[in-house]
Amino acid sequence: MSATINSVSKEIYNNIITTVIQDIVSREVVEQKQIKSRHPDYKPYHYDSTGTLDILGVPKIQESSQYFHCNNCDRDVSANRFAAHLQRCLNSRSRN
Amino acid sequence: MTTDANNNLVNLKAQIQQYLVESGNYEKISNDLNKRLLAEGWMESVKKLTLDEINVNDSTKFPQILKNVEPEAINMVSDTTKNEVIEQIKFFLNEVFNTEQ
Ligand SMILES: [Zn+2]
Repeated sequence: MSATINSVSKEIYNNIITTVIQDIVSREVVEQKQIKSRHPDYKPYHYDSTGTLDILGVPKIQESSQYFHCNNCDRDVSANRFAAHLQRCLNSRSRN
Repeated sequence: MTTDANNNLVNLKAQIQQYLVESGNYEKISNDLNKRLLAEGWMESVKKLTLDEINVNDSTKFPQILKNVEPEAINMVSDTTKNEVIEQIKFFLNEVFNTEQ
């Protein structure tokens, strides 16, 4: 009888584990199917093991070369100085 | 094994499964296994394995992907988890047989 219990226990374990696997695989397959049908030219995010390129495979842009437009004074301001600019720009406007 | 003995064994297995389900023990064992698999990172590994199979084969055909993933996923379960869950099942089965005798 204990031999039967042994083999039946293993079989029950196998039933459960294969059910779990089928569940995971079917969810992943359905998800990938949906992504591919909604976005036919879908590409996964870029992965760079050296950590220098972003999710689009593009290197980091120097922030000092980017400009934001200030709606308060209507000037272009360097992106990495925008917060400092706002402090002065908004203050001077409110004093006017 | 004779056909009769074989039929008896199949019947017995079906009865045991039914007992485990009705007593709520099947759910308990299943939940326990799921918790362990999640905690040891097995769930994430199987998801990753599935995704790799889908990409390598460029296929989202469930039977094909399952056939490739299942054997490796079964192997990836840690011995501790596998053995402890089997012991847990044995414990419940011993209860059934002892009360019936
Ligand atoms: Zn300004």
